[in-house]
Amino acid sequence: MAGKRSQVKDIDRSIYDFRYKEDGFYKVDEGLTEDIVKQISKEKHDPEWMTEFRLRSLEIYNELKVPDWGPDISGLNMNDIVTYVRPNTNMKAKWEDVPDDIKNTFDRLGIPEAERTSLAGVGAQYDSELVYHNVKDEVLKQGVVYTDMESALRDHEDLVRTHFMKLVPPSDHKFAALHGAVWSGGSFVYVPAGVKVEIPLQSYFRLNAPGAGQFEHTLIIVEEGADLHFIEGCSAPKYNVANLHAGCVELYVGKNARLRYSTIENWSKNMYNLNTKRAICEEGASMEWVSGSFGSHVSYLYPTTILKGDNSHMQFNGITFAGKGQNLDTGAKVIQIGKNTSTVIDTKSISKDGGVSTYRSSVTVNKEAKNAKASVSCASLMLDDISRSDTVPAMDIKTDDCDIGHEAKIGRISDEAIFYLMSRGISESEAKAMIVSGFADPVAKELPLEYAVEMNNLINLEMEGAIG
Amino acid sequence: MKMNMTINQLPTLTWNFLKLNSVNIDEEVALNNRGNLNVEDIPAGMTVERDGKLLANVKTGMGPALDEMMDERNVETLVVRSRAGAIIEKPLILRYSLGEGDGTLRRQEIIAEEGSELTVIMDYSAGRHESGFFGIQTKLYAKAGAVIHIVKTNLLGDKYLHFDAIGAEAEDDGVIDVTQLELGGGRNYVGLEADLRGRKSSYNGNVGYLQRKGQLLDMNYYIRHLGRKSNCELNVKGALDDDAVKNFRGTIDLVHGAKGAVGHELEDTLLLSKNVHNNTLPIILCDEDDVEGTHGASIGRLSEDVLFYMRSRGISEKAAEVLMTKAKLNSVQRLINDEGTVGRIQKYIEEAFGER
Repeated sequence: MAGKRSQVKDIDRSIYDFRYKEDGFYKVDEGLTEDIVKQISKEKHDPEWMTEFRLRSLEIYNELKVPDWGPDISGLNMNDIVTYVRPNTNMKAKWEDVPDDIKNTFDRLGIPEAERTSLAGVGAQYDSELVYHNVKDEVLKQGVVYTDMESALRDHEDLVRTHFMKLVPPSDHKFAALHGAVWSGGSFVYVPAGVKVEIPLQSYFRLNAPGAGQFEHTLIIVEEGADLHFIEGCSAPKYNVANLHAGCVELYVGKNARLRYSTIENWSKNMYNLNTKRAICEEGASMEWVSGSFGSHVSYLYPTTILKGDNSHMQFNGITFAGKGQNLDTGAKVIQIGKNTSTVIDTKSISKDGGVSTYRSSVTVNKEAKNAKASVSCASLMLDDISRSDTVPAMDIKTDDCDIGHEAKIGRISDEAIFYLMSRGISESEAKAMIVSGFADPVAKELPLEYAVEMNNLINLEMEGAIG
Repeated sequence: MKMNMTINQLPTLTWNFLKLNSVNIDEEVALNNRGNLNVEDIPAGMTVERDGKLLANVKTGMGPALDEMMDERNVETLVVRSRAGAIIEKPLILRYSLGEGDGTLRRQEIIAEEGSELTVIMDYSAGRHESGFFGIQTKLYAKAGAVIHIVKTNLLGDKYLHFDAIGAEAEDDGVIDVTQLELGGGRNYVGLEADLRGRKSSYNGNVGYLQRKGQLLDMNYYIRHLGRKSNCELNVKGALDDDAVKNFRGTIDLVHGAKGAVGHELEDTLLLSKNVHNNTLPIILCDEDDVEGTHGASIGRLSEDVLFYMRSRGISEKAAEVLMTKAKLNSVQRLINDEGTVGRIQKYIEEAFGER
């Protein structure tokens, strides 16, 4: 029989590991100084309040310490990082107008094809700026705004000013402050009350320049009763120097609204991914996270949901695959404040070839919450004896009116499961591959079909050999 | 005595906002060593000697600060030892009686020689509403094939500051079995580290607690699997009432090379008041693939199903809460093989619920 699924290889990165030179691109100097921050602000034609905000964030950055917990980030030296790289083009609304090398990049990543077949709108960021943005007419007619952050700052300044870094203030942690100082690019989405966007919007972030940082800001406001699925993808070619991603995502989910935020993260293995994502849910709102973390050298990633409104709900489905040279610290946080709020967290992680995977979470139930429910489940699979997997889940409960459940399991593929499948005529190697495939399935099934396929390609279940 | 020290530090740090990475103690306590120790009949096959300090290298879950404090004050060590091969059914009972204003530091080492089995019950008590300080350190060493059963019951006054530092090591097939009932004390800090060095060595931990008016119970359990096929079962269950605060840190560390090791931990917390505060942090560290590590936690008040069942049998919500709390404590209490100790525990629990 051809093509038996029996070996879990490392993620195939060949489709992401190509690069182009930055001829004619505008760059600031390496490092982080007040002059560089002012220079970025000037280049981006910031309003005065934003310039002040950046400079205040820089002050906070200089005051805060790097985390004393989590993976080692001593290899990241801000003096070596270029915080702003602008491609030699402005934003286009047609793919044919985008310069060839940039267009080729996104062609190879399949973005234009995805836009044609399954998306309502696409934003494509190359280094520090959006190079392409387009949204279908029928979505525009619904009153949906989907644009780059710089345009939003110009055309919807009041809305941006009211929401920008209010959920993730620069004082939150050192890299939130860094983001506040040097942010550029990213997407702004506004979905008016009652509007249901039937097909997803997607932003794709590509960091091409070596030694650069990407600091895009994503701000999404979903008004009362509205519905949106937003997809975020990211990748970069591998270099021998450290790259940094310190993006920020702020999501406002209105009364009885629903937002699904899906991420396929496949940064290169020289990337420090220190990203911050946070959502706040009003009454009856529903926030759904689907998160696949496959890339980066080091990741700190814990999407946070604040269930402020009564009857609000969050669901987090995540999978992390840590291979050789990777230390991925991922998980989720939730703060339950309103009455009858509920949380479901279901995560999987796979460690292989010396990779380190850590699941870290916190469930906080505030004193004023009533009838709060939370169910947390994390499972980790070790595929060899040179890898590592840790779970560090916290539950901070300040009321009796709750029902909190947590379960976790770490181990390798059980002999019993293999024996069971073999007793039904399946070979040992096939049985192992089936189990690994099934392990990832709860996350894969939450994604649209095209992205589930991409995720499965990333996990790259090869067909011959043996696991572990 | 001025205490300024860090205790109950996690073996791996996490977010500082959780305030669970460690505990800083900065306060003045009066040390007068008035607390009285009564050693009841010493069973045959067991010896009890003063000052040995044979287990200096055994680490406790509370950290080195308490060791240093005891060394500085030359705190006497009581050494309990079983004879090789002796299976001693009768427990040794160490009763620590404390009173108002007592400030006492004690330490003890329990060594089970090869193939032996012993039980030591340590009972700490004071007047119900008395205040004071009681710091105790217990180090355990189970040699090959030996079994150590330890029972600790905290019936201290509700204004007492209490430190209970426990360290344990087990050789091949050695068993460390620790049963704890945390009922008294005002601020209670418990730190246990067990190093399962031997092949098929094991740690069985059962903790029951009831924390009420103004009480704090801060726990740090760290079980290290170093030996092949080592095994850990840690079960922590209890109830929080009034404005009690409980912090539970439980770490199972599956160290590289501990092939075939299995570590399970389970926490079950019943919340009886809207003013309680519960922190639970069950950690698994895994550096080996041929292992199994699990943890589970259940935190909340009585479920509607249980309440409906109870009400349908004429039992009120309050009575049901008492019943279910007692059931949790009973499941730990039944592991204690001494009627006198069990009677004192039951009396304490009845009085506690009488005040409710």
